Amino acid sequence: MNDFVDGIKFIGDNSGLLWHLTIKHLELTGAAVGIALLIALPIGIWLGHLHRGSFVAISISNVGRALPTLALISFGVAILGIGFLNSMIALVILAVPPVLTNAYVAVEGVDRDAVEAAEGMGMTPLEVLLRVELPLALPLIFAGIRIAVVFVIATATIASVAGGTGLGDIIVDQATYRLPGVIGASICVAVLALLAQLLFALLQRAITPRGLRVQKVRPGRPESAAAVPVITN
Amino acid sequence: MLRRQSRKRDINVKQGTLRIGLAILAALALAVGLAACGSSNNKNSGTSSSAAGASTSASSTPAGQPGTGKPAVTLGDKNFTEQFILGQLYRQALEAKGYAVRLKDNIGSTEIADKALRSGQIDLYPEYIGIFNTAVAGDTKAYGTVQQAYAAGRAYAERHGFTLLPLTPFTDVDALAVKPAYAQKNNLTSVADLAKIRGLRLGAPPEFRKRETGLVGLARVYGIRDVSFSPLTIGLQYQALDSGKIDTADVFTTDGQLQGGRYTVLRDPKNVFGFQNVTPVVSSRVLTAEGPEFQATIDAVSQKLTTEAMQRMNAAVAIDKQSPAAVARSYLQANGLL
Amino acid sequence: MSGVLLAPLAAAPVIPDFGRGSTCIRDNKLFCWDWVQSNWGGTLRPALIQHIELTLIAVVVGFAISFVLALAAYRWSRLEPPVGIVAGILYTIPSLALFQLLVPVTGLSRTSAEIALVSYTILILFSNILEGLRNVPADVRDAAEGMGLTRWQTLWRVELPMALPTIVAGLRIAVVTVVSLATVAVFIVNEGLGAPIYAGLQNAFKTELIAAGALTVALALFADGALVLLQRVLTPWARTARS
Repeated sequence: MNDFVDGIKFIGDNSGLLWHLTIKHLELTGAAVGIALLIALPIGIWLGHLHRGSFVAISISNVGRALPTLALISFGVAILGIGFLNSMIALVILAVPPVLTNAYVAVEGVDRDAVEAAEGMGMTPLEVLLRVELPLALPLIFAGIRIAVVFVIATATIASVAGGTGLGDIIVDQATYRLPGVIGASICVAVLALLAQLLFALLQRAITPRGLRVQKVRPGRPESAAAVPVITN
Repeated sequence: MLRRQSRKRDINVKQGTLRIGLAILAALALAVGLAACGSSNNKNSGTSSSAAGASTSASSTPAGQPGTGKPAVTLGDKNFTEQFILGQLYRQALEAKGYAVRLKDNIGSTEIADKALRSGQIDLYPEYIGIFNTAVAGDTKAYGTVQQAYAAGRAYAERHGFTLLPLTPFTDVDALAVKPAYAQKNNLTSVADLAKIRGLRLGAPPEFRKRETGLVGLARVYGIRDVSFSPLTIGLQYQALDSGKIDTADVFTTDGQLQGGRYTVLRDPKNVFGFQNVTPVVSSRVLTAEGPEFQATIDAVSQKLTTEAMQRMNAAVAIDKQSPAAVARSYLQANGLL
Repeated sequence: MSGVLLAPLAAAPVIPDFGRGSTCIRDNKLFCWDWVQSNWGGTLRPALIQHIELTLIAVVVGFAISFVLALAAYRWSRLEPPVGIVAGILYTIPSLALFQLLVPVTGLSRTSAEIALVSYTILILFSNILEGLRNVPADVRDAAEGMGLTRWQTLWRVELPMALPTIVAGLRIAVVTVVSLATVAVFIVNEGLGAPIYAGLQNAFKTELIAAGALTVALALFADGALVLLQRVLTPWARTARS
C-alpha cells in the first residue's frame, strides 16, 4: 500500500511534468482519433445507408480488436522508425474499426418505417440520410467515437516504447521514476481514460433525441447486436 | 434470435445441448486447471519461464552432482542482448552441475533488477561494476583502476547482504556513437568535442538521463549541457541514428552492431563511463546455502568471457538472430563448461 | 571469500562458430521464413502455448465470476448498476497502467497479469449474460412455470439455453480482447507472444515482430471461429429457425 501512497505523492510533486505529458498524450490521441474519424465515418455511414457490406463493416471491428497493439506499434518502429508519426499511424489503425462498425450499424439499423415514410414524403436519398438516418443514428455513432477515444488513450500509453509520446513515458521508465512514478503515472492515465469515458457519455446523452433516451439503444437485427455489444459498453 | 418456442419438445432439446455445453466447459476448465498446475510445477522444479529457453530440467541431471538437492535459485537478467546471453551462460552452466535454476529474463534496467534482488524475487543477476557503484550504491567517485572500483562495490554489497562475485575479463562500457559522416563534418573524435554542439540530439535508454554514467556525468565532466534527449528502448538507438532522428547514441562497446565500421565510437578520455566489467551480484544468504561449488561454477564461466568472445556472441544474437540459449550452449560446450 | 578481484584467465577461451544468419536475416528484410523455421520450437511455439494458457485462465475465471454476478443481478436487479460501474471502470483503465498498478500488490508475476486480464472480461461477459437472460420472452418463462418447473429449473432448462447465443457472442469478444491484451503483459512477466514481440522491438527485427504479431492475430481469429462453431453445436434450434 505504501507504493500507492508514494505514487500519489509523486503526482503532487511532479504535477508540472505530468501536465506536460498529459497534453502530449492528448495531442497524440486527438490527432489519431481525428484522422480515424475522417476515414471511418464516411465509409461506415455510406455503407449503412446503402445497407451493403455488412460482413466487412462488422468483421473489421472483430479483426481490429484482435490486432495486438504492442505488435502494431513495434512493427511501425521497424518500418517507420521511432516517433510521433509511427505511433499515430498505429493508433489510427486501431481507432478506425470501432468508429466504422458503429457508424455502419447505427445507420443501417435505423427503423425502415421511418426511412420509407421520409421517401414517401418525396425526400431524395441524400435528404433521407441527412435529415432522418443521421439524427437517429447519432447516439450510436457517438458511442463508437467514445470507444475509439478511450481505446486510443489507453493504447497511446504503450506507444511510449517507441519514443516519447505521453504519460506512458513514465510507465516504461521505471529506472528514472522508480515505482512511485510508475504508479503515479498509471493512476493519471487511468483517471484520464475514465474522465474521457464520462465526458463522452454525457455528450452522448446530450445529443440523444429525447424520444430515444428512455429505452436502451439497440440496433436493428439482434444478431448484429450480439456480435457488437461493444457499442453499448 | 428469440423465437417463441415454448413447446416442451424444444425445451428438452435445448436442455440436452446445454448439458453438452456444460460438459465441454467443464472439460475446458479441467484442462486449464491442469495446465496451470503443470506450469506452477515447472517453476518449482526449476525450469525456465523464458520463452527462449530450451530447458534442461533439473530432475534429468544425474545424482551426485554438486547442485543436486540444493535449493532452487532464481537468476535474473536485464533488458538487452548481452544480458540475455549472460543469463543463459550462467543458467546452463549451473544446470549442468545439477543446480535448479529458474531464469527470469528481460526483467528491466538495473534499478528494477536491484529492487527485485532486494525483495527476494531474484537471487542473482549479472551487473556491470561501474553501474553497480553509481546506480545501486549511489557512489559517484571516479576510480583510477577497476580493482578500486570493484573493492568499493564489494564493500557496499557486503553491508547490504549481497556478494559481488569476481569480475569478467571483458568490459562493456557505455559509449557515444555517431555516424562517420557526422563525426567528420563536426570534427569529432572524443566525447569532449560534443560540448561545442548546440542542441545535441542524444538517444539513449531512459535511465541514461539520471545516471552519473549518463547525462549527469557528461554535464559535470565535459560540460555537455545543451542536449535534447530521446528516451529509447535499448536496441533502437542504431535505428534512430540510421534514420537521422538523433545525432549521437548511447551504445555499449560490446554491441555486435559496432563491428564493420558503420558507426564511429567517440573516445571517453575522462572516463565518465567508468569500468564496466561484469560481476554477478548474489544474495549472500543464497550463496552460503548453495555451497562453494556454486560460486566455482559461476566463476568458471566468468573467467572465459573476454571482450572478443562477448562481441562475437552479441553479434551472433543481434545480427545473425541466433537464440541466446543456443549461442550460450555452443560457447559453453566449446570451452568444456557443459 | 576469494581474494582475486579479476577472474584469472587461465587460457584464451575458444570462440566457436555460432553460425551465420542468412542474408535475409542479416539485412533485416521484411520477412525471413528461415528464421521462423529455426525458431519455431525454441521461441515461437512455447510463447504461443503460454499465450493460450494466459488467455484460457483469464477467460474461464472471468466467465465464472461474471456468470455468478450476472445471475445475481438477474435475480436482484438493484445489483446491476454497481456491478456495471465497477466493471466499466476496470474495463476503462489502460492495460499497461493496470498491470503496473498490480505490481505492488501481487508482484512481477503471472498472477498480476491474470488479474488484469480477468478484469477486462467482466464487463463484456457480465453485460452479455445478463442481456441474454433478460431477452428471454416473458411468455416463454410463463410457459415454463406453467409446466411446473421451479425457478431454478426454468433458469437452467429454459432461460440459459435461450440466452446462449448472446453469451457466446460475449465470450467471443472477451477471448479476442484477452488474446490481444495479453501481449502487453510482457511488461510485467516475460511470457506469451508479447515476449517475442518485445524482443523483436528491442532489435527492430521485422521477421520476429511480424511472426509473433501474426500468430497473435491468428490465435484470436481461430478462437473466435471455434466459438462460432461451438455456438452452432450448442444451439441447433437457432439455425433451423433461421432457415
